[in-house]
Amino acid sequence: MIHNVRYLIREGIRSIWSNRTMSLASIGVLVSCLLLTGAAILFSMNISNAMEAVEGTNSVKIYMDKDLPVLASLKAGEEIKKLDNIKRCQFVSRDDAIENVMEMLGEKDSTLLKDMTGSDNPLPDAFQVSFKDLSKYKDTVAQILKIEGVSSVNDYSDIAAKLTNLHRLVTTVGFWIVLLLSLVSLFIISNTIRVTMFSRRLEISIMKSVGATNWFVRVPFVVEGILIGLISGAVGSLLLRLLYDKLTGTLTSITLFAPLAIGEIQWKITLLFLLAGSLFGALGGAISIGKYLKKEGGEIVDW
Amino acid sequence: MGIRKYGEMELIDFQNVSKIYSNGTEALKNVNLHVDNGEFVFIVGSSGAGKSTFLKLITCEERPSEGEIVVGEQKLSQVKRGDVPYLRRKMGMVFQDFRLIQKMTVYENVAFAMHVIGASSRDIRRRVPYILGLVNLQEKADCHPRELSGGEQQRVGLARALINSPRLIIADEPTGNIDPALSFEIVDLLSEINKRGTTILMVTHEHSLVRHFARRVIEIHGGTVVADSCNWEARHDS
Ligand SMILES: Nc1ncnc2c1ncn2[C@@H]1O[C@H](COP(=O)(O)OP(=O)(O)O)[C@@H](O)[C@H]1O
Ligand SMILES: [Mg+2]
Repeated sequence: MIHNVRYLIREGIRSIWSNRTMSLASIGVLVSCLLLTGAAILFSMNISNAMEAVEGTNSVKIYMDKDLPVLASLKAGEEIKKLDNIKRCQFVSRDDAIENVMEMLGEKDSTLLKDMTGSDNPLPDAFQVSFKDLSKYKDTVAQILKIEGVSSVNDYSDIAAKLTNLHRLVTTVGFWIVLLLSLVSLFIISNTIRVTMFSRRLEISIMKSVGATNWFVRVPFVVEGILIGLISGAVGSLLLRLLYDKLTGTLTSITLFAPLAIGEIQWKITLLFLLAGSLFGALGGAISIGKYLKKEGGEIVDW
Repeated sequence: MGIRKYGEMELIDFQNVSKIYSNGTEALKNVNLHVDNGEFVFIVGSSGAGKSTFLKLITCEERPSEGEIVVGEQKLSQVKRGDVPYLRRKMGMVFQDFRLIQKMTVYENVAFAMHVIGASSRDIRRRVPYILGLVNLQEKADCHPRELSGGEQQRVGLARALINSPRLIIADEPTGNIDPALSFEIVDLLSEINKRGTTILMVTHEHSLVRHFARRVIEIHGGTVVADSCNWEARHDS
């Protein structure tokens, strides 16, 4: 049995190699399919994560009018604190704000902002406020907006709604694209294996003539499919890791948003990719040989 | 025709068998015949007469349009698709074009037939050399088919057909691609195998063979059995 498995794998690698172009095409399409699936999964996980973060902070930022003097801002702050539903209210001066931004951008990019300090600072004073009772969110925000000097409150409920929509969009579009690509991969894999099958017509014919069961005839082609799938799974998860790291690297510096670290879920994704890949490969192999064997008992070619 | 009796020794029984291919060709018409265990039968007839169709019906490669075929105790109409492989394990097939796998050695070609029906490596290692000895090819075990003469290649084909100890050998023009001189060698081997109890059905065009090995001869013409006798030569020479 172990001898047989080794033999089958060796034969599978050999036929993938001797049919390189088609095998490469199969692997390419399957990798793309897996990459898109992975991207959709990571994207949706990141959005969920962001949504949780937004909902979890239970705090809003209140921006004052642009050129309001600091004293007026602090006075408004006192009024905010007097409201019922306020748990905490922290003043963030415009100088602190610009400094925070510069810090987050890092040394290099912050030089862009170095002229924006002092009286040239474009940012307003602000308050970081958290609520006692989130369900009274809307009322409290309305009350805050009535206070003199308050310009705007950044509304997380709005962001949350946008995120939810984005999440839904990514999930549906992702689903259809992945479904379409899955069918394409199946088609290409089964055609790739059909090439092997025709190059092995004689062998299959001999197998049928000496009484090999269809199951036995099928195995090498399914193994070939699984190998294609495993290679695609490995390549796909590696590529996804590289791309994600690269992308989140640049994204972080642009959006100040902390993406999910892929490290924790890397092995899950790899496992998923290997499983999905080998499943598709096996299916592709089974489809192509199944069509071929459909005839009565299995044909013995040219006899 | 019809000189043979029913008996316990019966291996193959055709009862009113007709075969019409899907394109309308009537390849066999109402064939009735019996072959007993241990017989050696030549099947002769012109090209397109229906000889191969006759053999294909026995191997379940094709199914009859009408009539019943019994092989051993088994009615072939009752053999399901999935059981065809197990039926074929009791038959050895030999083809005109040898059908050897070029990238495999002689040994591997023969072992392959055991391997694909799930024999253990131990059984394969024990049985293959024995069968290669039987067809006098021990020395060529590690050769590839292209290094062998036609006669030697067909002996490999014969070894492969024998490897799983079939009750029946089905040979469709096994000497068709071999020098006439070497054809006798192949039929000699088949005779030898027949002596050990294996039934042989062999299609051939070569009258010299049929004449030399005086055996039962079934002649098919236009899909019907026109002659079936042990003294076919006597009839044709006169
Ligand atoms: N698969 C097939 N489909 C249609 N016609 C066939 C098929 N196989 C054989 N025939 C026809 O059936 C007839 C008998 O063929 P065959 O049994 O191969 O003859 P033989 O072996 O005696 O030369 C021929 O006319 C041949 O053309
Ligand atoms: Mg023929």
